[in-house]
Parts: sequence; structure tokens; C-alpha cells
Amino acid sequence: MADDKPDVARLVDEAAKALGLPIAEEYCANVILNYERSLMIARPLLEVELDDELIPGPVFRP
Amino acid sequence: MSDPLSKAATAAEIARTVLGGKVTAAAVIDAALTRIAAAEPTINAFTDIVAERAKQRAAEVDAGKHRGPLAGVPFAVKNLFDIEGLPTRAGSKINVDGPKAARDGALVRKLEAAGAILVGGLNMGEYAYDFTGENAHYGPSRNPRDTTRMTGGSSGGSGAAVAAGEVPLALGSDTNGSIRVPSSLCGLFGLKPTYGRLSRAGSFPFVDAFDHLGPIARSTEDLALAFDAMQGADPDDPVCTHLPPEPTLPHLGEGIGGLRIAIAGDYFARGGEPEAFEAVATVAKALGASETVVLPQAAAARAAAYVITAIEGGQLHLPRLRARPQDFDPDTRERFMAGALLPGAWYVKAQRFRRHYRVNVLKIFDEADIVLAPATPCTAPKLGQVMMKLGGVDIPVRANLGLFTQPISFIGLPVVVAPLQRPGGLPIGVQIIAKPFNEQAALRVAAFLEKQGVAAAPPA
Repeated sequence: MADDKPDVARLVDEAAKALGLPIAEEYCANVILNYERSLMIARPLLEVELDDELIPGPVFRP
Repeated sequence: MSDPLSKAATAAEIARTVLGGKVTAAAVIDAALTRIAAAEPTINAFTDIVAERAKQRAAEVDAGKHRGPLAGVPFAVKNLFDIEGLPTRAGSKINVDGPKAARDGALVRKLEAAGAILVGGLNMGEYAYDFTGENAHYGPSRNPRDTTRMTGGSSGGSGAAVAAGEVPLALGSDTNGSIRVPSSLCGLFGLKPTYGRLSRAGSFPFVDAFDHLGPIARSTEDLALAFDAMQGADPDDPVCTHLPPEPTLPHLGEGIGGLRIAIAGDYFARGGEPEAFEAVATVAKALGASETVVLPQAAAARAAAYVITAIEGGQLHLPRLRARPQDFDPDTRERFMAGALLPGAWYVKAQRFRRHYRVNVLKIFDEADIVLAPATPCTAPKLGQVMMKLGGVDIPVRANLGLFTQPISFIGLPVVVAPLQRPGGLPIGVQIIAKPFNEQAALRVAAFLEKQGVAAAPPA
């Protein structure tokens, strides 16, 4: 499913514009690398299915 | 009993001798300042030393004021704690241009009310987004066990200062492992209390959802002394509990009778070097523990902790990322930038998953009072080391030193790190994890291990 992979460089560029975060050219490669790393690390969370009723508390109490 | 003026002296030993009139607080502070001056060129634990303030406070203790359970004990704090009259660096260059703190952070005030004496602020990874103890602005804090190696972070200066015997007690913060990782790599006792147990007022935040403050020391008695002195509600921190303080020191010597102790399996039994698992096995044997429990979906918990950290951290620093990106540590800047751009849907899902995971993990505590797990996947890496091999796989050091700590702080469980000294090798810690607000049980287990000679701080 190579076609499903996001174009992270473009995603970072457009999201940074939307957020008003200028990213100098010399930082771009590392921001993209870290975004890609985040996609990989987040995967186990994104694969979890949660019931609709499960809501986070506004103040977390352990 | 150690000489109260030596680097081997614990906080409890110092306080006992000061209160007993055998040594003055002034002499204790002078000795600490002398040790700091001698060690700093090598260790680089301190960014600020408040010598005159400490001497003034020592004179007050000797004049009969503040003669509490920590009388005369020198301590230092990670430089994200407010220190009156100083900018709160939080490991950054940018904050030095900000306002000076109008008063000390809440926990500094509480320790000083108990008689302890602040001697300075400690080095840390920039804005606490760090597991290494390295810092581009102030240099790395160096591991006293091998100064070519990392202290671990982000409370790197806290670990280094205590392990080098500069001070017997330091405060750190722990968002994803920042007390527990340096405790493990420097071979010290560390306490990350329950989320909300201790006030965070007057400290620079990182990730509100996970930020905890706590002590690092050379003995469990010192952890308990400091922890007890710092407990109590604080309206200045909306997360701080309204539960009454529960002193732990009176129970420290009660042993492990009646405590059901289990070993975390699955996620916590793979992905590390053999010494991490050998340490857990050694501790389990000493405690007579053999049952294994599984914290369900720990990998997803680690992922969710990562997502919440990246997004909250990125959002917090957005104004500085826009205005002064060139003044960030290169090792945090692009991670914060990437975090600021991650999808909001991830954040909400991570927070929803957090509640789900909490419910399932708390079920384990119906059957066990204590769960054991490795604190770090390896001993201290070399300074500057970028990649490490774990379980035969090359992975980045920076993101993975907290592999075993993140799924625990994610739901705010209290943890004591017990350090194992390995003859001929580097130390490594074991997490002693309890259910929320049961710090007492974790401290009792650590004290038992200390008494048995299984866990110990490094020789001073």
C-alpha cells in the first residue's frame, strides 16, 4: 500500500503554513524525519479500537 | 554512620548530627560548597550556585530557626524549579532572557521549611524533552561512575550531583522517565510520586498531563524524608491532590510482609539488554516474587505517551519556535516543531486510550501490591551516542531510554527506582511500581532491598 503513505515533506510544509510556524530550510529535513518517526511510534495507538462511550476526563485523576 | 561533612553522608545522617548539636549547618554547607567547587569542572551538574543564600540560611538554622527533620541538609534542584531572583532556565538559553523568579517553587519552600538548605540549580536537558542529560547550551552533565557516559535525563544534573556526592538530595521532574532514567544510569534511589501527589507550582512545565516532581537520593530514608516534607495540597497547582499527606518514613522499616509482589512480563521482558532483565530477576529473587503479570497494551501506552508529549510540548513552545528557533538546542528544536504539527485527532485518541489503559492496569493491583519492571533498557550509553543496539536492533538512544518508564508515568503510578551496583560494570535500576497514592509500599520494598544489600547507591 505504498500509495497510502503520506507525503510527509508536503504535509509538514502545509501544516506549518496553516499553524503560522516558519521552518527554516536547514531545519526541514529533521522536522520531516521526526514527523516520520512519530508516524511509526504512534502506530500501536492508532491501531487500537475504542468504544464511543470512552471519553477522557477533563482532569485526569489516577 | 558517615562523617556528616563527607560526600558519603546521607540527608538523614546530616540532619541528625545538626539537630544533635554535633556539627553546625554552616560547616555542612561549607563542606558541600567545597565539594561542588572541586567536582564541577568534571561533573557539570550545576548551572547556578547560590552560596551566599545558603550560608545565610545555614546561619539561621544554627541560630535555632527551621530546625525540622532536614535541618542543615544541602540540596539542589533541576533548573526548571523557580529559585527566587534567578531566571528559571528549564535547560534553555531562551528563558535566561525572561523574568527572574519572584519566589521559590513550592517544593523548594517546603524543603527549606523542613530545614534543608538550597545550594543551587542543576543542569538538565532543554525544556525536559530529553532522556540523555545532554545540553547544547550548558554542556552535558557527566555520569560520576564513568564521565565519558550519559547521566540520563532530563534530570541529568540531579543524578550527577547526588552520585558525585556534591549534595545528598536533589529534586528532579519526571514526565516520561526523567527522574527514573538518571536514577538508573547513575545508580541512585529515585521517587516519582503519584501524579498530583506533590505540587508543581513554581516549576516550568513541559507536559501538564504527565509532569511530576520528586526526589533523587542515596538512600530510601532520604527519599521518604524529602517526600514527607513535600506532601500537602496546594491550590496553586490545579492537579495537586486534596488527599491528606500520608507520611511514609514511619513505615519504612516494616519490611515486605503482606505485600504481594509481581513481575511485569511481556512488553517489559523484551527489548532491552540482558542486564536490565537480570536486575529485575535479582530483585524478584530477593523479594521472593515469581508471579508474572501483563500490563495490557503497554506498547500502545508508550505510543500514546509519546503523542501527548509531542503535541503538548510542541504547543507549549510554539511562540518560542516562531520567534527564536535559532536559540533552541538542535536536539529539541525539530522534535518540538514536528510535535506542534501532529494531528489533533491523535491527541484526543491518546487521552481516551489513557482512561481505557488506566482501568485495565488498575485491575492488576487487585492481585498485586507491587509490580517490578526494568527502569532502563541498558546501562549508561556514551556521551554523544546517537544509536544503540537493543535486542539486536539499532534504535535511537534519545527516544528509547524511556521505553520502560513511559507506560507507567502515562497513568501516573508511583514508582521508586532501586539501583543495583554491578561489580566491574555500570549500575542499573529496577522500577518498583505501586497503585496510585501507595508510595509507602514502593518505598518499603526499596528499603527492604537496601537493608538486604541488594540495592545501594554507589560508594562515595
